[in-house]
Amino acid sequence: MFKKIVLTLAMLLCVSSSAMAEKTIVFAVDATWPPMEFVNSDKQVVGYSIDYMTAAAKAAGFTPVFKNVAWDGIFAGLASGKYDAVCSSVSITEARQKVMDFSIPYFKVRQALIVAKDSPVKSLADLKGEKVGGQIGTTGYFAIKGAEGVEAKSYDEVGLAMEDLSVGRIAAVVCDDPVAANYAMDQYKETLKIATIIETGEVEYYGIAVNKGNTEVLDLLNKGIESVSKTDYVQEMQHKWIGQ
Amino acid sequence: MRDKPVVIEVGDGAAIPDPRDEGLFTAWRISFFGTLAIIAYLVVFRPDPYLDIIKFLPDGIVVTFQVTFASIALALVLGLIAGLGRISKNTFFNLAASTYIEVVRGIPLLVQLFYIYFALGHLVRVPDMVAAIVAMGFCYGAYMGEVFRAGILSIDTGQTEASLSLGFNRSQTMRYVVLPQAWRTILPPVGNEFIALLKDTSLVSILAVSDILRRGREFASESFLYFETYTMIALIYLVITLILSKILSNVEHRLNHYERR
Repeated sequence: MFKKIVLTLAMLLCVSSSAMAEKTIVFAVDATWPPMEFVNSDKQVVGYSIDYMTAAAKAAGFTPVFKNVAWDGIFAGLASGKYDAVCSSVSITEARQKVMDFSIPYFKVRQALIVAKDSPVKSLADLKGEKVGGQIGTTGYFAIKGAEGVEAKSYDEVGLAMEDLSVGRIAAVVCDDPVAANYAMDQYKETLKIATIIETGEVEYYGIAVNKGNTEVLDLLNKGIESVSKTDYVQEMQHKWIGQ
Repeated sequence: MRDKPVVIEVGDGAAIPDPRDEGLFTAWRISFFGTLAIIAYLVVFRPDPYLDIIKFLPDGIVVTFQVTFASIALALVLGLIAGLGRISKNTFFNLAASTYIEVVRGIPLLVQLFYIYFALGHLVRVPDMVAAIVAMGFCYGAYMGEVFRAGILSIDTGQTEASLSLGFNRSQTMRYVVLPQAWRTILPPVGNEFIALLKDTSLVSILAVSDILRRGREFASESFLYFETYTMIALIYLVITLILSKILSNVEHRLNHYERR
């Protein structure tokens, strides 16, 4: 009996010490952004970003945990320490860099304008006086707000904006191009199309957001992202999730 | 005339200040002037960010009131019909009204809002605001139906009997005898529902209607000032509901006065 207890304790010690050696990084994900991060039919959070961070974790030696949270307030949760990082297709912007630190970029996007299939609209400038939707607090939404004469309408999830667009309550939606492609060419291929990739907008890069000064997590992330970016796995993931 | 006073309890509105409370420090005064003082303090001494937040909200406040008034108008009409249906002798009318109330009361308001908003989108092409108002009014119509029913039933059956024996038919009795008396019982809970509805309009912000809460969230998502923004939003809702509950309390006081005469 005594032997058994000692053995169990020893085993527990082994397990816990090996787990302790690897740092766990908790990522907040708003899984409503296919194909980058979304919930699949098995209720798993999956997508390009998830695969990327899982590979990065393997390379840098940390354990990733993905926590599905709502986008609105995702940065407030980061600031209050509910998780270590935000891995949710966060474009690196100057405004965001003032309040948080970013890892090195892991993906490049532009903003795409989605309209109804029969719409003659070619750019945001054609939409003066119309309602255009985007997800609250995203670079797509900020692009709409920046466009002159366009009424910006914010949604909690980009999917709700697509639904409103497909029933004609709004004239267009602006969001990241892989997401736009996913909606316009897959889920809503009968009703929606991509009008244009907004040419005035600059190229944006996704990064992982962490709290200012959290170098411990940031270093691990950068190390992981850097080593993954050099492998062929990136093309493999591109093909798997984005299909090009 | 009555055996006992009729009290209709409706729980989810704001607390109604007691009009007989004559003291200097009433709960209402403390909350109302306290809230105003906090807002004034924040705006004057910390204009960045509080003044910016307040400047961002006015059109949201307008939208909140628009949604509230339009929804309550719709809810009153639906509520009167449903309330009359519930006490109707016509089996079909009665069943239809009862089923409507039963179904609506059994589904969470948020789920109904989503359902009606997106279902409506597939049937007719209406603006988002109209869809939100229809959804709110439809839900609250069922709650109102119960208030109307209780109010109508609070009128002594002797009145109906007397009216019928004097040669009025049922609808005349309802129109000229029962409803004019019932509204005094109905008004306070309707006012209460009005305040509850105003607070519940914050739910339509989920449907991308630009009310106070949605405007605040837009501000927060851009400035990352979540705490400050929601503080201001809570204070503004509080001021609005406190003013409304004061008005309601005064109206009720007058009705009671009339009753006591």
